[in-house]
Amino acid sequence: MMAPGKFGQRLRRREDGPLLTGRGDYLADLIEPGMAAMRVIRSTQAHARITSMDFSAVANDPQCLGVLSAADLPAGIGMLPAADLVAGSAPAHQSVLAGEVVRYAGEPLAIILAADSYVAEDLAERVSVQYEPLALVMDVSAASRADAPLLYPKFGSNVVHQTSQRVGDPDLAFALAATLIDETFSFQRVSASSMETRGAIARIDPASGRYLVHSSTQIPQILRRELARITGINPDALRVIAPQVGGGFGAKEAVYPEEVLVLLALQRFGRATYWIEDRVESFSASCHGREERIRLRAAVNADGMITAVDADCLADIGAAYSFLSNTPGAAIASVRGPYRIPNFRSRARSVVTNKTPLNVYRGAGYPQATLAMERVMDLAAAALNLDRVEIRRRNLLPPELFPVDRGVSYPGCDAVVFDSGNFPALLDSTLDVVGYEGFEARRAHSPAELSLGIGLSLVVEMTGGGGAEPARLRLLPDGRLQLSSGIVPIGQGSETTLAQILAEHLGLSPEGIEIVMGDTDHSPDSPGTFASRGATMGGNAACLAADAFIRRARDLAAELRGGDPEDMVWKAGVLIDRNRPAEPLSLAALMQQAAAQGIEPAARLDATARYEDDAVSWSSACHAAVIELDRGTGVIRVLDYAVTHDCGRVANPLLVDGQIMGGVVQGLGQCLFEAIRYDPAGAPQTQGYVDYILPTAASAPRFMLRHIETPSPRNPLGMKGAGEAGCSGALAAIANAIADALGPRRPVPEGSGPFTPDLVREILHSVRGEEAAL
Amino acid sequence: MSDGPMAIRMTVDGAGVQAQVRPRYLLSDFLREQAGARGVHVGCGQGVCGACTVVVDGVPVRACLMLAVQADGSAVQTIASLPSLEGGGVSGGDGLTRLQRAFRNHHALQCGYCTPGLLVATARFLADHRSPSRAQILGHLNGHLCRCSGYANIIAAIESVLE
Repeated sequence: MMAPGKFGQRLRRREDGPLLTGRGDYLADLIEPGMAAMRVIRSTQAHARITSMDFSAVANDPQCLGVLSAADLPAGIGMLPAADLVAGSAPAHQSVLAGEVVRYAGEPLAIILAADSYVAEDLAERVSVQYEPLALVMDVSAASRADAPLLYPKFGSNVVHQTSQRVGDPDLAFALAATLIDETFSFQRVSASSMETRGAIARIDPASGRYLVHSSTQIPQILRRELARITGINPDALRVIAPQVGGGFGAKEAVYPEEVLVLLALQRFGRATYWIEDRVESFSASCHGREERIRLRAAVNADGMITAVDADCLADIGAAYSFLSNTPGAAIASVRGPYRIPNFRSRARSVVTNKTPLNVYRGAGYPQATLAMERVMDLAAAALNLDRVEIRRRNLLPPELFPVDRGVSYPGCDAVVFDSGNFPALLDSTLDVVGYEGFEARRAHSPAELSLGIGLSLVVEMTGGGGAEPARLRLLPDGRLQLSSGIVPIGQGSETTLAQILAEHLGLSPEGIEIVMGDTDHSPDSPGTFASRGATMGGNAACLAADAFIRRARDLAAELRGGDPEDMVWKAGVLIDRNRPAEPLSLAALMQQAAAQGIEPAARLDATARYEDDAVSWSSACHAAVIELDRGTGVIRVLDYAVTHDCGRVANPLLVDGQIMGGVVQGLGQCLFEAIRYDPAGAPQTQGYVDYILPTAASAPRFMLRHIETPSPRNPLGMKGAGEAGCSGALAAIANAIADALGPRRPVPEGSGPFTPDLVREILHSVRGEEAAL
Repeated sequence: MSDGPMAIRMTVDGAGVQAQVRPRYLLSDFLREQAGARGVHVGCGQGVCGACTVVVDGVPVRACLMLAVQADGSAVQTIASLPSLEGGGVSGGDGLTRLQRAFRNHHALQCGYCTPGLLVATARFLADHRSPSRAQILGHLNGHLCRCSGYANIIAAIESVLE
């Protein structure tokens, strides 16, 4: 029997105490009296030349503590970074402040400082900016036409980034196919919309005299490096801390202008400066997610075997690169998901338009790619009059084929090799738990005005990776162990999970292990939190650090007591000499003995190790959604939601299930409610939660969650990631369920909708019109 | 009405607070900046998300939709008053209330940003509804956005404390 709090147990979170009592240290809680409030003056135009910027109305106002525009930026200031470019990409980088041309409404033009945010906002209103409009590009079709207006004329095209893949002979397969499916799927722009907006504070660290930047970010270590590069400040003179982060989901995995600007303001005006994004601002200043269009063609044999897929993705990445804006390329390379499909071709292009830059958002392209593939499975089943389960079953990769080399690669993943999984078992489990067999009877018994629908999706997603993950484990003077991890907690429970993994590895209780994260002075230099990598990468790194720590403890014990380190055995926090088993040595005793002999124990019992990223691991899942569609009102409710997930060995099912449910409801939000809208002049129409509808408790389905553990052979713990899993499969399952509820003759707009009551009623009316005309 | 500062006084979680404030100063900012009530989280500033919910003279309000001067003379309760809002105080060795413990046991919070406002509003709701139906609970929760949990564990946590 496992001890409580060890690997695999539903351990409650150590993080919760301060959060439940309102004592979490979020960014806004770190503002101190005397700091200057920064307001960002943003472009009101989507594409324009700036003809003048007039600060005269505020320049002599004593309340104005400083202004800064592009003209005032230090010479040689760097552009904002993009981490996922391929050779040949056009350098569509964003500048910290727009100079001559603005390319989206909301783009930062200048900053103004005042004693508080109220006054700063007033002052910003009095700055006058004159624009000369330029021709707009607001969608990918317009943007990729030969005669399109160009955002960056020097590139000669709005297509700035392109990747492609090929496996086998897709042309031959298409030529021989019995049936062809050819469909185009559209995905609207959405906002990750964490409940805490972004924010940043720059000040001089009183202890060291260095620059100290706090930011609500998922990537403090990368931010430190990039701030140094952009501003020219020596990285050793910079410390970055991510405090308690109130949600991230990918939108906080970027380097933003405001993080640079608070630092520049501190440098220029000598005042500690803070910026808190307001919610209206957030909808145009924080990166959007997901907007793309995928055309998917499938060659299908008469027996339902899919012999080839050809995918073409146009991603609308907005006006410039964000940190990770080109991920559709990675997800499209894996669009075949769990299916054999021996022949394959894909192309993914990133197109710039006059909108807010796009960044990864929970699932990073997989939600869209999965929806396209899974809709095609349903469409192929319908075309061949095959059962939706049967066509999937025939095409699934069988477990005996693992590991499966998919024959493709992309930046960040040298070879797509599915390391472990059992896709038929996932399918069987989900069909069982959702009651697939009894569903037609359930449908037949639903009231006449309600249409029930059921939708399936299978998803395989890349997790982990991102680079080597270091960790440090040391003994504190009070006898507790301290793990320093580069993983950044953003609400997912990393501290609890890592303590749990480490406790299991060391044979100790998790309570005795302190975790330090998110501070570049005290956490090792790590890529940070993204790609569902926290538990797998952070956990394996912690175990390696523990192994190194144990070696050092054995060496020290042998040195102090005489003997061979090889004879020292670590058992649950105690060292036992095989030759003197009656005299075990606890860590506390080891410390005392070392000190007594003039050896500083803290220096010796301190070990750092790196988990080298030699492989990503591939999580998989089967989702099923049961929805109810009200034919009168057009309202869709997701009633039941089943997921059987395989993230290898599950460290903490309580927290993994929390990730899956949260991710599913975010996916549900995209399908039913959420959309960032612009008017034809490029002005953002989404200004807050009145325009941008998030799911509420009433939208939460009844969850049925299961796990199948096929341990990953690619890391010692056998883990695979789980943070994005719910989102990655949810769009597809819900879209399939909606199509099922509407029935085969309904013209369903393909993609993620959102299927608002208005859209659903429109679909129903158009069909009634057709029926009347017959 | 003048734009000049006005003298106001109120109790925040039982302690008297007085200050000179501008009329446009929001109650949410006042509570955070002048009363040290950092558990009042501003999520949207538009009265939609519910993260800044506090109880003013017994009534739950969005602190971002109320001016500080409107609360002059009032008794304001934030997350620090949860033990009295729930009526049962704290119990057990963890210093948590029954509702807080239920949230912890059911993993009803992830990033925790929406949590204090949600707890304050829920304590107030449960004081008026001893055994609410699922529909009443959902109606109550409709005023609170959470982007992390998917809500199911929040609903389960609340149902677990019903009598």
